[in-house]
This record gives sequence, structure tokens and C-alpha cells, in this order.
Amino acid sequence: VEIILLLMLLFPLTGGLINMVSAGRLPRRLSGAVACLAIFGALVMAVIGFVRLGEGSFVVPIVDWVSVGHFSTSFAFLYNPLAGIMALMVTFVSFIIHLYSASFMREDTDYCRYFSYLNLFVFSMLMITLSENLLFFYLGWEGVGFCSYALVGFWYEDPEKAAAGRKAFVVTRIGDVALGIAIALTYFLFGSLSLTHIYGHLGVLTPIMTMALGLLLLGGAMGKSAQLPLTVWLPDAMAGPTPVSALIHAATMVTAGAYLLMRMFPVIKLSPFALATIAGVGAFTTMYGALGALGQRDIKRVLAYSTISQVGYMVLAVGAGDIIGSMFHLLSHAFFKSLLFMCSGYVIQAVFEEHDIFKMGNLRRLLPHIYYPFLIGALSLSAFPMIGGFFSKDRILLATFIGPGFIYKVFWLVALLAAFLTPLYTFRMFFTVFQDRPDGRTAEQIKPVPNFMAYILWPLALLALGDGLLNLPFGPGKDWLAHYLSVVKGSVVHLPAPPGYELYMTVGSGAVIVAVLIFTYIFYRPPGPSFSAPRLQAFLFEGLYLDKLYYHVFVVPYERLASILWEYVDEGGIDEGLDGAAESVEMLSRGLGFWATGRLSTYVKMLFVGLTVFFSALALQWFLW
Amino acid sequence: MDLNFLLLVIVFLPVFAGLVALFTGHIPRLCRWVSLILSIIELSLIILLFFLDLKPVAGPTGTWLMAVDYPWLTGLGARFSLGLDGLSLMLIWLTAFVNIICILISWRTITMKVGSFYFFLLFLEGCLMGLFLATDLLVFYLIWEIQLIPMFFLVGIWGHHNRIYASIKFMLFSFGGSLFMLIALVALYTLHGQQTGEYTFALYQLTQTHLSPVVEGFLYAAFLLAFAIKTPLVPVHTWLPDVHTEAPTAGSVDLAGILLKTGFYALFRFAFPLFPGAAEASMPLLVALGLVGMFYAGWIALAQTDIKRLVAYSSIGHMGLMIIALGVWNVMAMSGSFLQLINHGISTSALFVMVGMLDERLDSRQFSDMGGLWKKMPVFGGFFLFFALSALGLPGLNNFVGEILILIGTFQVQPVVGILAFVGVLLTVIYILTMVQKCLFGEALEERRVWDVDLHEILILVVLAVPVVLIGLHPGPILRLFESSLQHVMFHAPLLAQGLGG
Repeated sequence: VEIILLLMLLFPLTGGLINMVSAGRLPRRLSGAVACLAIFGALVMAVIGFVRLGEGSFVVPIVDWVSVGHFSTSFAFLYNPLAGIMALMVTFVSFIIHLYSASFMREDTDYCRYFSYLNLFVFSMLMITLSENLLFFYLGWEGVGFCSYALVGFWYEDPEKAAAGRKAFVVTRIGDVALGIAIALTYFLFGSLSLTHIYGHLGVLTPIMTMALGLLLLGGAMGKSAQLPLTVWLPDAMAGPTPVSALIHAATMVTAGAYLLMRMFPVIKLSPFALATIAGVGAFTTMYGALGALGQRDIKRVLAYSTISQVGYMVLAVGAGDIIGSMFHLLSHAFFKSLLFMCSGYVIQAVFEEHDIFKMGNLRRLLPHIYYPFLIGALSLSAFPMIGGFFSKDRILLATFIGPGFIYKVFWLVALLAAFLTPLYTFRMFFTVFQDRPDGRTAEQIKPVPNFMAYILWPLALLALGDGLLNLPFGPGKDWLAHYLSVVKGSVVHLPAPPGYELYMTVGSGAVIVAVLIFTYIFYRPPGPSFSAPRLQAFLFEGLYLDKLYYHVFVVPYERLASILWEYVDEGGIDEGLDGAAESVEMLSRGLGFWATGRLSTYVKMLFVGLTVFFSALALQWFLW
Repeated sequence: MDLNFLLLVIVFLPVFAGLVALFTGHIPRLCRWVSLILSIIELSLIILLFFLDLKPVAGPTGTWLMAVDYPWLTGLGARFSLGLDGLSLMLIWLTAFVNIICILISWRTITMKVGSFYFFLLFLEGCLMGLFLATDLLVFYLIWEIQLIPMFFLVGIWGHHNRIYASIKFMLFSFGGSLFMLIALVALYTLHGQQTGEYTFALYQLTQTHLSPVVEGFLYAAFLLAFAIKTPLVPVHTWLPDVHTEAPTAGSVDLAGILLKTGFYALFRFAFPLFPGAAEASMPLLVALGLVGMFYAGWIALAQTDIKRLVAYSSIGHMGLMIIALGVWNVMAMSGSFLQLINHGISTSALFVMVGMLDERLDSRQFSDMGGLWKKMPVFGGFFLFFALSALGLPGLNNFVGEILILIGTFQVQPVVGILAFVGVLLTVIYILTMVQKCLFGEALEERRVWDVDLHEILILVVLAVPVVLIGLHPGPILRLFESSLQHVMFHAPLLAQGLGG
């Protein structure tokens, strides 16, 4: 067990270090090969782990890390089905992304740095996945934060892109403050940071403390998973290379927050208030993301807002007490979103780095290779009946609907409406990009892109298409994923829904989604919708002005106060005051005599005079006694 | 075998080396090599101590891992006594380590009065060794004052254009504080003599002086002022940015790496055991000053236009966090802050070293002259980012371990302070990332000719990077060393020991 888990981590770490130390001197092919092989190694280990370790839970301590007195943390792994399936997903999706990157970055000169960060990203994510204690978890957590910083700002020569990286880091760090406090509180309550210890000593928690802990953990998850109100970094994170967006949005970073909540679910579920808050944050974020996505023109930003929305479902599922649903959606989302991002990366390269969907069009004819993968991804994202995301989203909605109290009905309604908006914004983008339009692209306006980049996406496309099979609500293989995860603490295999609900909801939402899709098709038929509402469009485009609000309420005053503090308080106040005191003394001494010459030697003389006086005083005292 | 004499060697070898450097100054090459080799010997001696498996031994000057005690000014009752415990061991290691870095970075940049430069550098090292080992208050005080001299000249002679102002400011601030300490010291000496009939400056004896709370408060305040200026605590910190900006790189490195730690160290080693009652009463003040320093300096750092000033302000912020730990007085937080002394010494030194390298290339430290440097100097950029991440407390690197221990430890005792401190760390992230952004990223300035770091510089940076990673991943042995220091305080000051717990 140790070997499997250690190797799983060491492969990407080694790959990352090789690329880093080479300082850009590795040949392109070798650099890419090293990175891909490293992830492939990790993938193999994850598969072996999945096959050999089965549904058991293993705690594997490796080596001691920070220990003082009673405080002790170590590098230790906790492998259980939850971690196993997460590791499998992370390594698999990352592997595809790495292969794709090797082709995508074919013209960038800085490929070594790129692959180095990419490997380290996967390494950090695996640490999050496997860690047994919260401090080790935090190590991976911040590692992911740093790698996203480096990769989002990868094209650092553009100050805006570099600033986007910094924004991602700082905003997620705000969430990390909450997580840090949660860690301190955990140690305060349990006297340990070990997850197994926490699972075993839930009795020490008082309701108030559980609530506090649950909310703090939510705060941590908000940052990384871009939930309200910390959503603002994610759309800007589009500044990075497209495979990086795929990695951040699908396989790694944003799911980390939801994963944290799942890992700590045994604690969270003890507090109904924390659960309801989590569900509320998730539900409103789904709506926020869906609205934001409706207003975007940049293909990647549409996807970014859709990520915010979809991760909202995962968080909502946790809040509704259904971590299996959350994990299920996390998996489907990982497949279809990485698929969509890489498809859009292909499209963007093909249209000469153009991001605006209204300057594309006609691409179905011109880029046939990418059409079907993109279509599958879009259908899956829209939760088209019987395709991947449909089952997972349905399960979450059902779990929310049967949640305790009226408030969950509200959350359900919000999330349901957001679910109906999903096909609208997805296919708004899809039709605009691919359908034939008179003002669309012509064959000359297309740059050839290696077909490899399209072919490599098929494994993901098939998974996105068929991952509903993991947890079918009926038929053979019914609830496989749920059974597999059933040993995880706090999981509910069968939602305790009254009979019939499930069927009605499935059929009902399926029908509405198809209807919305048809509506979208008609509505965005060329030459496009004739109605226009600039105010509303701007409102949606700016992400409901949340970013602007923060900028004016927090960023500007913060910077201004920094200058004011420096110029007026520090330099003008304190320092001037002290200088003034020194000057008056100097004037006094100038009046007194010859030694305030300002020359260095004078001051040394003063020192010796002082010392002499001191010694004479001592000597005198000794004489007198 | 009695190896205690090693302490004397450790203190006087650098002074000797300094003299050698002074007399070989007319052959700069020789002078540099001699200084380097003797410093390496010094460092190896100290590393040797780590492997001696020292055990605390009770002696006439207290319980130390190693101690020497010689009669000195017998008429005054002053003795020349040194003692070593885990904390001072780590600090003298840091001193020797940082000093080698200083010698290496000055290798090519200092071409004027080479002999005197290395003399002052090594003499300063000797002083600091004595400072961290002294267990007699007179010895301590004398060294405390004498160490100002080499620093004063290092800034005043080899500094930048406004160096005279800076060095005098440094001198006046330090002197102002320590004069009060001198008065308090003499008062304590006299009181102790009157009470017991035995006139002595030995720390161990003086801790047993009976003081009325008022007297104790005044004496403690005098000590605290001296140490607060050195640390520096807000609001007596304004000398630091000025001195840093004017000092030569080696001076800045020494100042940030070691000199700032003397304030904290002396507070812990002398002021706390001598005046436990007053110290305990002052803890809320320390916490408040630490928090203020952390936020205030962290905030101001963001507005800086001079990269060296930014790093200087970051030092004030970091020291604030350590002072908080001293104020909450909890085993975890204290261990963390000891570790943080070392971590800050390494990381900030590294940042100053890199700023020095930038200054060499750009002949400017203004952000407006930087930007896009990664393009032209990727290796430099990589290292700069690495040390910046270390300074902002990225897990896996050294600062994180110290910070998280302080934060979690603080939270156990005073949750509100802990939460505020957690927020304070966020400020560090903001200004450090801004610094990296302004310096490395963005459009490259085309007309400027810069060159990437060469092998000599890479060597220095690698030497600095090794402990950053090692402490970050495996701090265990060092943390165990500190346990002895904490026990030591308990032994000296049972009153304080209760609060420490654990």
C-alpha cells in the first residue's frame, strides 16, 4: 500500500522537478514525454490502487513532519474509496490534459516551466486527495494555489495575465484564512489533526463548535471552489493557457473545495445550520454562475461561469447531506468540463486566438473533428436526458428536494432554475460557434491545428457520454458508485425519497431540458435574437458587477490606505517626530559645545566617552562600598 | 573530554579572523579567502556541536548544554561567562551561516577598503556570537553596545548615497534605548548587592533578586525599550527601513538576518527571567504591539516603491508575528517563534541578497525600473519566486512551519488573537505577490542590459535554498533542540513556567 501511494505522488513530483531543474534546457519532446510519463505512472498506480485495495480504508503513515509537545503531524495517507476514485479521476483527466498540452504548447518556448508546474499541480492535488491529516492536506491545498498562480499567470509578459494569477492566489488565500482557522480550531477541539482521529472522536463536539467548524471549512471551500462570494478569481483565471483552465476547472483546483467538505463531512453533518448554509451557498452560486455564463462573449469565460455554477451543485449536494451525489457530479463534471475546455482550446487555436464566440460561426463545416466531442460535452453539461451529467444533477436535485425544512425547497427551486438555464447558455455558445452563419468564418480564416488534439479527447468524450452508467438509478449496475462509496463515513446509498418522486423528477426535468434546448436552437438561429437589452447584458457580462464591487470596496481603499499610512503616519508622523526630537537634541548640543560636528569619528568618541563614564561610575561605586 | 572551551573559540575565532583580514587587506584576494576559510571553520565548529549529543548540565551559571565561567573584573563581581542552549545554538549557527553568505556576496561588489570591510564583518560576527552566548549581564551589555560599532561603519562607509544619515540614525536609536537599559542594569546590580551582599552580574543570581512590583516594572520597561527598538516594534521601527535602504547588501543581510533577532532573543533570555512578574503583565502589550506591527508594516509594505524598503517593512511584519508568540506564551507558539527566528534569518537574507543582485544589474531598486525580468533572467526569477514564496509562508518551505505553529499555538490560548494573526498573514501574501509581479512579470524593458545569475551567485542561492527546503519538510530535529531552551526558562522563572504549560 505504501509503495503504491508513495509512487503515485513521487511520479509527478519527480517529473516536475526534472523539468524545473533543467531550467528550460530539455528538448521539447523530452520535456513533454517526461511530464506525460510521470502522470502516466501516477495513473497506473491509481489503477493498481483501485484494483488491489478495493473498498478498504488504509491509514499509511510515512514520516513525521511537524511535532512540538503534544502537537504532532506527519506525512500520512488515508486511502478509502472516496480518495481512490478521486485519485483515479485526477490522474486520468490530467493524463489526457498532459497529452493534449504537448500538442497545444507546440509553439511556446517556455514548455519546461509549463510542464514543471503542470506536474506539480497534479502532485499537489494528489496530496489533497490522499492526505490523512489537515496540515498535510493544507500543504497540497496551498501547493495547488501556488501552481494555479503560476499557470494562470503563465504568460507573465502581459501584466493583465500576471495580475489574474495574483488575483487567483490572493482570493483563494482569503478562503484559506478560514481554513487555517478551521485547522487551529480542530486542533483545539480534538487535540489532533488526523482525520481518522477526528472521525473517531466526534463526541467531543458541542453544537456551537460544530457549527463554527463547518462554516470555517465552508469558507476554505469557497475560496478554492469559487463559491459566492469568492467567485471573482475564476473568470479571470481564463488568462492561463487553455489546458490549464481544463486542469484547474475540471480535475483539480475547484473540486478541491468540494472534496474538502466531503472529507470532513462526518463533522459537518452534525450541524444542521452549517449544512443549510453550505446548501444555500451552493444553490445561489449555481444561479450566479448560470446568469453570468449567459452574458459572456468569450468562449472560455462562458465555460468558467458554468464551472462556478456546476461546482455549486457539488457544494449543494454536500449541504443536502448527499456526498455520493456530490462525488458523482464531481466525476461527470471533471469529464465533460475538461472535454469542453480542451475543445474550446482547439477552436481558439483554429481561429487565430480569437475568444469571442460571435466572431466564430460556421465551424461545424470547418472543424469537423472537434464538432462531436464538443457536442457531447455540451449535451453532458446541459444534463441532456440519459447522458452523463443528467443523472448526477438529478440525484443532487432530489437530495435537495427531500432536505429538511422549507428552506431546502427554496434551494431546490433556485438550483432547478439554474439547471434549466444551463442548456440555454451552453447551446447559445454552441450554436453561435458551430452553426452556419452568414457572417461566420470562411476556410481561409482557419488555421490548421493538429488533429491529435481532437482525437485525444475521445476517451473523455466517451466517459462524459456514458458516466451515468456509474450510478444508474435503475437497471443492471444500479447505484454502483453509491455502493462503492458506501463505506465512506456519512454516505447515504439510497436517498430516502418517497417512491415515484425520483421518476417524476427525472422525467420532468428531462423534458424541460429538452424543451429549453429546442427553444435555444430556435432563438439563436441566424441571424440571432432580435431583442436587445444592453443594461441586462452588461449586468450579466460583468458577472453581476461583483468584481467591480470588490474592486471599489476593498482593493482601492486598501491600496490607498497603504500609501496614506506610509506617507503620513510612518514617514510624516512617527519618523518626523523622532527626527524632530533628534534635531532638538542636536541643537542643544551645538549650543553646548564642539563635538556635534556630524563627523563619524565624533560619534565614536561619544561612545567611548559614554563607556568611560560608565566604567568610572561602576568603579566609584565599588570604591564607596 | 571537556569541550566547553569551544565556546571561547567560537566567540574569539571571528575576532581573530577579522584581525587577520585587516592585516591582509592590501591583498584583497588573500583577504577574501582567509575570511571565507576562517568563517567556514567557524561554521564547522558550530555544526560539530550539533553532533556532540550535548546534555544539559547544571553549573554555577545555570543549566546549559555547555558553559564556561571565568573571573573577569573581580572587583565588580563581573565574570566572563558563556552558556549554550538549544536556542542559542541555532542562533549562532545562523550567525555563522549568514556571515558566510555575507562574505560571498561581497566577494566582487566590495572593492574599496577590503581589509576593513571584512574586519568589521567578522568582528560583528564575533560580537553576535558573544551576544547569543553571554550569561553575564555586564558581558552582554558591553557586547550589545560594541556590536553597534561595526554595523555603524559598515553602513557609514560602504553604504549608498544617504549613508551618513542612516548610520547616525541607527546609532542614535540603538543608543537611546540601551542607555535606559544601562541604568536599569546598574540599579538591578545595586539592589541585588544590597540584598545579598554579593555583587554580581550573573544572570542566574540576578534572577533571584527580590523586587517590588513598581521597581520591577520600571526596570523591565527600560530593558523592553532597548529590545523593542532593536526588534523593532512599531512605533520605534522607523530606523530600520532607512538603514536597510542605505546599507550595503552584506550589511542588510546581517541586519535582517541576525541583528533583529538579538532584540527578541534578549527579551526572552534576559528580560523575561529577570522580571517575570512585569513580563507577565506586559504580555498583552506585546501581543498588541506585535499585531499592530504585523498589520501596520504589512500594509505599508504594499505602498513601497523601493524593493529594499519593501523587504525591510516585511521584516517588521514578520518580527511582529514572533512577538505575538512571545506575548501569548504557549509552548507551541514559542517553539514556532524560535524556528521563525531562524527561518526569517534565512529567507529575508536571501531576499536581500537577491535585491543586491538586482541593484548590481539595474543600478536601481525602484519598481519603476523593473518588470519583465523573468524573460531576461529566468534562473534569477526562479530563485526570487522561491524565496518570495518562502517568505509568504507556502507550506513545504521553512516559514510555513514556524508560522503555523505560532498561529495554531496562539489560537489555543487566545483565539481572537489567533484569528487576527491568521488574517495578518494574508497581508504578507498580498505585498509579496505584488513585489514579485512588479519585479519579474510584465513587459520587459528592452533597452536595459541585464544578465542572469552566474555560477558564483547560483552557488550562494543554492546554499540559502537548502535550509529553506530542509526546515520546511523536516523541522523535527530543530524543534527538539528548542525544547531544552523552553525548559531552561521554566528552570529560571517558575512563575513564567506555569503559563507556558505543556
